[in-house]
Amino acid sequence: MKRKALSIILASAMSLSLLAGCGSAAEQTAAPADDAQAQTETEAAPAADAAAEEAAPTADVASEGEHELSVYAWDKNFNIPALEAAEKAYQTVDPDFKLNIIEQSASSDVENAVTLAANSGDYSQLPDIVLFQDHYIQNYVTNYPDAWIDLEDAGIDWSNLGAEKISYSTIGGKHYGAPVDNGTAIFAYRTDILEECGYTIDDVTGITWERWLEIGRDVKAKTGKYLLSMDHNGDDLPYMMMQAEGQSQWKDGQPYFVGNDTLKQILEVIITGAKDGVIYLCNDWSEYTDTSIIGDQVAGVFNGNWIIPTMEQVSENSGKWAITTIPTLSGKEGYAANGGSSLYITSNCSKPELAKAFLAYTFGGGEGAIATYDDALRNGGVIGTCISASKSDVYQEGVDFFNGQSIYADIVAMGANVPVVEQSDYHYNARTYIQAAITNVINGSDLDTELQGAEDQVKFEMGQ
Amino acid sequence: MEKKKKMSLVAKQRAAGWMFLILATAMIVVMSFYPMVQALITSFKTGTGKNFKWADPWNYNYIRMFQDKMFMKSVGNTFLYLIIQVPIMLILAILLAQLLNNKDLKFRGLFRTCVFLPCAVSLVSYSLIFKSIFATQGLVNMILTKMHIISENINWLGQTNTARFVIIIALIWRWTGYNMVFYLAGLQNIEYSVYEAAKIDGANAWKTFWYMTVPLLKPVIIMTFIMSINGTLQLFDESVNLTNGGPANTTITMSHYIYNNSFGQGVANFGYASAMSFFVLILVAILAAINLKVGDTRD
Repeated sequence: MKRKALSIILASAMSLSLLAGCGSAAEQTAAPADDAQAQTETEAAPAADAAAEEAAPTADVASEGEHELSVYAWDKNFNIPALEAAEKAYQTVDPDFKLNIIEQSASSDVENAVTLAANSGDYSQLPDIVLFQDHYIQNYVTNYPDAWIDLEDAGIDWSNLGAEKISYSTIGGKHYGAPVDNGTAIFAYRTDILEECGYTIDDVTGITWERWLEIGRDVKAKTGKYLLSMDHNGDDLPYMMMQAEGQSQWKDGQPYFVGNDTLKQILEVIITGAKDGVIYLCNDWSEYTDTSIIGDQVAGVFNGNWIIPTMEQVSENSGKWAITTIPTLSGKEGYAANGGSSLYITSNCSKPELAKAFLAYTFGGGEGAIATYDDALRNGGVIGTCISASKSDVYQEGVDFFNGQSIYADIVAMGANVPVVEQSDYHYNARTYIQAAITNVINGSDLDTELQGAEDQVKFEMGQ
Repeated sequence: MEKKKKMSLVAKQRAAGWMFLILATAMIVVMSFYPMVQALITSFKTGTGKNFKWADPWNYNYIRMFQDKMFMKSVGNTFLYLIIQVPIMLILAILLAQLLNNKDLKFRGLFRTCVFLPCAVSLVSYSLIFKSIFATQGLVNMILTKMHIISENINWLGQTNTARFVIIIALIWRWTGYNMVFYLAGLQNIEYSVYEAAKIDGANAWKTFWYMTVPLLKPVIIMTFIMSINGTLQLFDESVNLTNGGPANTTITMSHYIYNNSFGQGVANFGYASAMSFFVLILVAILAAINLKVGDTRD
């Protein structure tokens, strides 16, 4: 018996030591996720970037000189050119200024870096400034207030920046973030395919979702193409469609899924669309970008405007796209925003004065704003929310890929119409369970039951 | 006086032994046991960030996990993998080992290497490769379409049953060779004369296998069982990289859900994640104990 007891103890000790990996993951020692995690975020880089070089979390984050700042960013085709533009703009007032941009493989790496630093109480691993996703920042500032420095005394004119955008980075009445890109959603259609089926871009502007589904079925029957695709592993469709209605999935800080008629109708549109072959729900981000969009299987794209660089990778479709507003349930023109990020100063910043001055001068709408936003647009396709900067000529230029449409001015104009809807720290929890509900209903479950289940689960997770 | 201070030879050797042990022991304690104790303490806390505090009641996280439908779903998924995949894999492994143990087989080394090679592949990369093979526009669908077995592409990773099937296939591919190596080693310890004796007594191949090989391999079989159970209960890479838990969280594993609670999905809830880790630990310990009990016929 003794031997048996011993062997059980040994066996548990063995499994215990193997489990230590788990245990320490729950501790603060685990390394941040590798680039395999890179795919799901709304702001995810095009898939090629996921394989891009991986910046080690302990990479040199310190900014050496008096005129140097370090910053985390994650997309070398999109937000990194914007930061380079800002660096160049600020060098006109401070010629020695240097921005040390540390590339991360995905936005989740930045989030994990903050989580690790805050939980270990060792902020020294953070750079001076981080680029952070708008939907996550409220949660991170609320939970880790010590990790951030606010921008109240930076001298930024906040009324010059898009109100919807600023609503994310304003926490407890304090402004924390300097906005970079505007997440205004675009609904782009292939005009040649619409034409083939007997429609024009005007026929899909200001229509009801019902009519949209009819057109979609027609397009599918005539050309075999889907009218829309979405990454169903991080499905932003319900959120964007709700915002276009001016409605939220939240009410007084609680999930509002059950009894929310608008939400139910919208989900029914998605479910019908998926069943009828109008909407292609992809299993992951790379299927969305590579197979559906670059693979030329869709006649329409609906997402934050940061999706444009992905669309532009199919050069033979240049000139065939046009951008318009979002259908709604009632048929009025809908406006929404999705994704987007801002720059935040971390408490590890050794030169907060320089960082504030830099942000105010560039992205904050100061004297360097026009130079910053112009170059950001030219080199990265980053469309800002700064109202004064959007008056610049670059914004008025027509874009060949969209048949000469001056899409940037259009997007800025659309952005001004995006309704502010109730947001929540639990945005992504809601997204996870709403998308699960859609999957289950497509596979034969009942929508009301699924919504009840999703609401219960989100409420449960909010209970921590 | 001096003589007293001098240690005897045995004592000296013992001291040297302790000296060797102490470094390893200290490292295990610091690297492994200390985090485990810390994790246990953390598991009695709740909240996120600055609201991280002692849970009230103290076992709040442990009660909570049984009310958490998502966690229960992940437990169910993990056990599904365990029940289906482990027996298939171990039976395949033992059969392969038996085949490749044949003395007269040509190119034995080559075959053994081939079967073992999948284990040399990193978990993340093989998951990603399986993901692309089983993508809707992937290799498997292409082959099946060309062979006129299916007319429309199957969305392997988009449906619950097929997604689970893909994970199980991937696991079998990755781990069968690994277990086979243990069986091969075990088989080589069995004297050939045992088989000759069986042959003289008129036992056929099946009887030889069932009454000679399996009992003699028993310790190895138990070991592989425990290791497989342990590994499957902590399944992570496949769930994260192959399906990301989808569709509708029907392939998520316990470790993946624990990860989602600590990183992955916004602000971390380390208390709850630690508590769930300990639940996994207890499960592994219980299953290993049962396995030892059932397998040990010595007393």
